[in-house]
Amino acid sequence: MNFNIFEFFSQTIDLVQKQNHGSIPLILFIGFVFGVIIQWSRVDTFDKIAGFAMLKGFKVPKMLFFSIGIASIGLYFMIKMGWASYHIKPIMLGGLILGGVIFAIGMAILGLCPGTGPVAVSEGNIDVLVGLIAGIFAGALFTYFYGDLQSIMGPDYGKLTLTQLIDADWFIFLYGAALIAIGFLLPNREIEEEVGEV
Amino acid sequence: MNIPRRLGWIPAGIALAILIWFTFSQWGANRPIGASTGIAYMGAWFFGLTDTEYFKQIQKSGSWEVIFLIGVLLGGAFTSIFITKTFKFRILPPLWKKHKNSSVASRLFWSFIGGFMVVFGARLAGGCTSGHFLSGASQTAVSGLIFGGVAIVVLIVTGRLFYKNLKDS
Repeated sequence: MNFNIFEFFSQTIDLVQKQNHGSIPLILFIGFVFGVIIQWSRVDTFDKIAGFAMLKGFKVPKMLFFSIGIASIGLYFMIKMGWASYHIKPIMLGGLILGGVIFAIGMAILGLCPGTGPVAVSEGNIDVLVGLIAGIFAGALFTYFYGDLQSIMGPDYGKLTLTQLIDADWFIFLYGAALIAIGFLLPNREIEEEVGEV
Repeated sequence: MNIPRRLGWIPAGIALAILIWFTFSQWGANRPIGASTGIAYMGAWFFGLTDTEYFKQIQKSGSWEVIFLIGVLLGGAFTSIFITKTFKFRILPPLWKKHKNSSVASRLFWSFIGGFMVVFGARLAGGCTSGHFLSGASQTAVSGLIFGGVAIVVLIVTGRLFYKNLKDS
């Protein structure tokens, strides 16, 4: 075990500076804005996320579907213009399904996920901090057993997008509009009706 | 100036989409947003597993996401203190009290189990809500859509089974 936090940060910063994915201040800025949006909309609360699992509040899926719908249309044209590129994760079918099941059970119980969890910690939720520490353990254990786990994560069907399958500009409008529509069509019910202001 | 104390799903959704565009663009980070690799990176590092195949595979993404998550912590703390005024040390969420129990020990126990499953599952799947859903589905990635579909169904089923008194009165 190595809990030398100075060594951790100097190595981490060094690794980031060697890659071409933005300076440290820029990455901190991206994270800061993410934290502001998530905290300000209160989707970093157990009540909003577990509230959706209980089908008693729908702000989280409305915001997610709506956001992805808009982002998908813009991103498609940004990539066409050469302003951005695709970063696709492979279809590791076993891992996606088994991982998706384990992830979602955990998300319903903890009421948070790896992106929203740190926001919940930052506003003082001790329970989520315990969950985050458990997550760090899980990361270590996964790293240790990665060799054995690889066999259940496959088969690998490669990196595929729907825009590759249907290669026409109209498709992205259909895709984006459908996701935006889901955002609007999901019930307007808010968890505040159940527990008051969160 | 009058700053709203809560952000609705429409402005928050638009802001998040703009942040995704900026992060993907060559003027931003030229990569997607992700969080779970950063947590796995911390685990592997703190437990001295830097000399493993998996750590070598994730060290670039993982280190980037650690810096990202520090920004997230700062942004969250800033907003909770100055805008939403929700900063407070607490353990039991109101909804947990209403639909599970009022035991601090139980909440902490289940938080540990839940947090463990969230990160372990995300690593098996190769991503979480940020990586697979926000970033993946925005690129129409089939992997992200499969993950999102499985996760939403299992989330709702678990909600039904794990919590109680869910019938509306």
